[in-house]
Amino acid sequence: MTAILRLENIHKSFGGVQALKGVDFELYPREIHAVVGENGAGKSTLIKIISGVYSPDVGKIIFENREVTIENPRIAQALGIATVYQEPNLYPDLSVLENLFSGRFLKRGFLLDWEEMRQRAKEVLSLLAVDLVLQAPLKRLSRAQTQLVQIARALLARARVLILDEATAALSPEETKRLFEILEKLRNQGVGIIYISHRLEEIFRLADRVTVLRDGEVVGRTKVRDISVNRLVQLMVGREIRDLYPRTPRTPGRTLLEVRNLSRRGVFEEITFEVKEGEIVALAGLVGSGRSEVARAIYGLDARDKGQVFLEGQQIPPRPWNALRAGLILLPEDRTRQGGILSFPISWNIGFSIIDYLRNRWWTIDERREHSLAKEMIQLLDVRPPKPELTLGSLSGGNQQKVVLGRCLLVHPKVLILDEPTQGVDVGAKAEIHRLMDRLVGEGMGILLVSSDLPEVLGMADRILVLHRGRLVAHLPRGSSPEDIIKAATGLAEAPHVR
Amino acid sequence: MRGARIGLSEAILGTILLFTFLLMAQLSPQFLTSTNLLQLPRFVTEVGLIALGMTLIILTGGIDLSVGAIVGLAAVVLGALYEAGVPLPGAIMGALVVGVVAGSMNGFLIAYLRMPPLIATLATMAIFRGLAFGISQGRAYRDYPDWFYTLGQGYVGPFPTQVPLLLGAAIVFAFLLSKTPFGRKIYAIGNNETATRFAGHDVDQVKFLLYSLSGGLSAMAAVLLVSRFSTAKADLGQGFELDAITAVVLGGTSISGGTGGVWGTVLGLLVVGAIRNGMTLAFINTDIQQMAIGAALITAVTLNQVFGSLRLRRKGVRTTG
Amino acid sequence: MYVDRARQLSILAFLLVLGLALLAYAPSFFQPGNLRDILVNASYLFVAAVGMMLVILTGHIDLSVGAILAICSTAAALASKAGWPLFAVFLLALGLGGALGFLNGLLVTNLRIHSIIVTLGTMNIFRGALIYWTQGAWIYDLPSDFRTVGLGQFGGIPYPVWGAIVTFALFAWILTQTSWGRSLYAAGSNPSAAHLSGISIPKVVLGAFVVNGVLVGLSAVLFSTRFSVIQSNIGYGFELLVITTVVVGGVHIFGGSGTLLGVALAALLLSTIGTALTFFRVSSYWELTLQGLFVLGAVALDIMRTRRSLQRGEV
Repeated sequence: MTAILRLENIHKSFGGVQALKGVDFELYPREIHAVVGENGAGKSTLIKIISGVYSPDVGKIIFENREVTIENPRIAQALGIATVYQEPNLYPDLSVLENLFSGRFLKRGFLLDWEEMRQRAKEVLSLLAVDLVLQAPLKRLSRAQTQLVQIARALLARARVLILDEATAALSPEETKRLFEILEKLRNQGVGIIYISHRLEEIFRLADRVTVLRDGEVVGRTKVRDISVNRLVQLMVGREIRDLYPRTPRTPGRTLLEVRNLSRRGVFEEITFEVKEGEIVALAGLVGSGRSEVARAIYGLDARDKGQVFLEGQQIPPRPWNALRAGLILLPEDRTRQGGILSFPISWNIGFSIIDYLRNRWWTIDERREHSLAKEMIQLLDVRPPKPELTLGSLSGGNQQKVVLGRCLLVHPKVLILDEPTQGVDVGAKAEIHRLMDRLVGEGMGILLVSSDLPEVLGMADRILVLHRGRLVAHLPRGSSPEDIIKAATGLAEAPHVR
Repeated sequence: MRGARIGLSEAILGTILLFTFLLMAQLSPQFLTSTNLLQLPRFVTEVGLIALGMTLIILTGGIDLSVGAIVGLAAVVLGALYEAGVPLPGAIMGALVVGVVAGSMNGFLIAYLRMPPLIATLATMAIFRGLAFGISQGRAYRDYPDWFYTLGQGYVGPFPTQVPLLLGAAIVFAFLLSKTPFGRKIYAIGNNETATRFAGHDVDQVKFLLYSLSGGLSAMAAVLLVSRFSTAKADLGQGFELDAITAVVLGGTSISGGTGGVWGTVLGLLVVGAIRNGMTLAFINTDIQQMAIGAALITAVTLNQVFGSLRLRRKGVRTTG
Repeated sequence: MYVDRARQLSILAFLLVLGLALLAYAPSFFQPGNLRDILVNASYLFVAAVGMMLVILTGHIDLSVGAILAICSTAAALASKAGWPLFAVFLLALGLGGALGFLNGLLVTNLRIHSIIVTLGTMNIFRGALIYWTQGAWIYDLPSDFRTVGLGQFGGIPYPVWGAIVTFALFAWILTQTSWGRSLYAAGSNPSAAHLSGISIPKVVLGAFVVNGVLVGLSAVLFSTRFSVIQSNIGYGFELLVITTVVVGGVHIFGGSGTLLGVALAALLLSTIGTALTFFRVSSYWELTLQGLFVLGAVALDIMRTRRSLQRGEV
């Protein structure tokens, strides 16, 4: 059987940084081929080369025994390569039907043939066993549905190669299961699928083969059934990760954060819980259960209809600046869009939350103090390169996250809310952040951890609060099983309301 | 991006200013005389005050098209109040208050109702100008006490009163922008408004204050204008938004916000003022002056684009890989 | 196609209320002559609004339409005076408008400057150029056949209204049945996706500005041929009126969505209000204020609806 797609000796660098070094890759029809690696390992660059966003500096791409140059995404699509992204690049204001065919409208002569398009769309959607209103605007669809639209698009384009990049990040377990069923069906029909994910459980469930990238090189390629999880992680990281979830057992102290009856119509209701000194409380649940919304509402960034938030007994009026003053801060989910200002230097970013307090006599900013505080934080968090005057945008993702974390820590919060702190972060940095979390609570902080990474929740939390459709349905202790959490998260176990 | 700092764009700007002066000198021999040049600040201060406020607004990624209309409204209020018997200082106060209130209306729509600044100020421009016309029914308000005219037509030493006024305002604004937390927040909002909110700052309040300030500055400009021309009419200030925005953009502030500064605006202001002044001396129609300013605006933005992209490429801003 | 009917229904409701109020307080409003005037006014406004709609759909804006209107009107009048036949005058106006639109489009796409700034600049350049050319003079003694377009009729319907009908039919078809039309929506809804699927954004935007210019030229002919004198300040404030029409008509200010029918209804509404003001004996000086309030109202409604649907929808 010949490979649909073969990459030979691919080299790609960006301004002096070597992203891919001599990478070989092949994809056969009827296979799901996973690509794994830490952040910065080159996965994203690899698929961008395949989908035409980048061109390799050196190397050949062979598609069905023909050498091709994929200069732009349009050519990739014409060849039959379709990519499904986490953030779909479609048209929110236009109808589902139009999105399915945009760029590839079916015409009758000069005019658009809507009737034919509707026909074909219905066929494909029934193949996927999906029910969508063709006339509805795309912005009304859920993330999962939008992804299905992307897949339907690929099918309509008769894709031979389907690439999925972190496709399940925003999906519930049910939706993930359905997606996998569809992918398996497609594979059986002869499509070659490249699957990229940080979630190793998915790789083992879904993929036939796996290629491991590390620092831009291929360090392993095997059939999935011939390798173990630990060995896979070892290959990815290059060393044994002894302890990804370092926790020292402690007894919690006094109550720091108290949330009472927090409600916002249609999003969450009657959220009540506390976080004590020295403990990590996790907020778990499916996508759409309202975790991030609750977190942002506690911080005061989003509105609430009713409820109160107390820090050390004092009520905090709902606005972020009030929260900061009381000693509560939130580390946002999206570090580039919500966390830091890319064109500001590192020192400005680190000092930004407390900028009003870094003042001189004459109402000016005390730049010297800002600089020294930044240097301290850089050292504490091991930010690389350790130069406060560099712009945030010139750092890698993991280091940017550290800078944003530094900004939060400079507030000297008593309670820290972390929203997906290790999402899209490589295994090494993940362990570092977890170690830091343990240290912080050891020094008396309380942490509220919002996370969709089940192993992380199980490994790091002292108590686990589970949200289901905006209601707190379970309150589980450390040592609970994944099934306990999933049952609660999917609403199968309505536990009596415990605080 | 750092705040006010002498860099490449300021050097280019200086060259443009020089070029403009030479060009205007060609148009009219009177241009380069000391009497004329000293008078230049007079014409430039009204727009200048507005341009200073506009700089801050554009830095946050916003825009205010209603400034000219607020000038007209404030002028009409001044005239109407005085005519109704309110003592002049009170009428002036009234005009300033109206300006701030009008600006705060913009602020409310843009900051709290989250309306796009372009369309919001396009609408309020119509509302304020309409109010000015409606209140005045098209008439002019004249006859003010002599002391009032010293504001617009008097001197401080050899300099027109406008010079210390504009210079003082520029210094205050430059200080505010580059040295204070408030100024830092302005740059932050222009670069990444969401991140600024997450960092715990009251972005809405900052924007609200900036638009209210702009309204107040427009009203101040109106007072100066009335004092200079001895008349208050509803169509005062027409076209000021163009001049102000041109000065700001010429001065190196990016229209999408995040980079730029006050001193660039001042230089841009001098260019705009020189063009207007030089052309007036050469008896060139105001409409044609508009044409020149329009061309200057487009040239300025183009140059900005070109040099801005060169600068970014040199810095090698990294995108996630 | 996704069609949002809410805005169209609200405009109709508003017109109904207004109509009832007029019926009660000023029934003379409903004389056929007056209604005819309203339709004619709405017609040339609609034609220009269609052009602006195309530009706004792509995510841009054109503040220079008033100046373009002035230039095209003046050129048409002068050509007619010089003895040009009517169809040549037509072509001149449309061609000139298209050329000016092309200039706008070129600046926006090539220099990659925000269209607010570009058209703020060109608005002043065009106006200044016009005054320079005419020396601010008004144009009198227009030949009688010039005025036939504005004042004449065919089959009982005035020519300007025919112009609007034809424009409506043509663009209703273009916007829904041709890929160029859909590419306007795509470019405004998600420029990067449009680019990836092979749509040349610069070409689409340039096309929108050119067609806008042509439509303003057409509007100029329909508009100016009703007068016996072309003033030098013709078209001042026209851009605001046109943008108001488009925004009130439901076209999203950031582009990507909007209907032709909504814009048509909005043109009718604004034309009605303008006349209604006189019948309610409100000074015409307040008309500007009212336009501004309308825009604010329309945008506020838009925002409230987006907010509500975001809350209902996904994370």
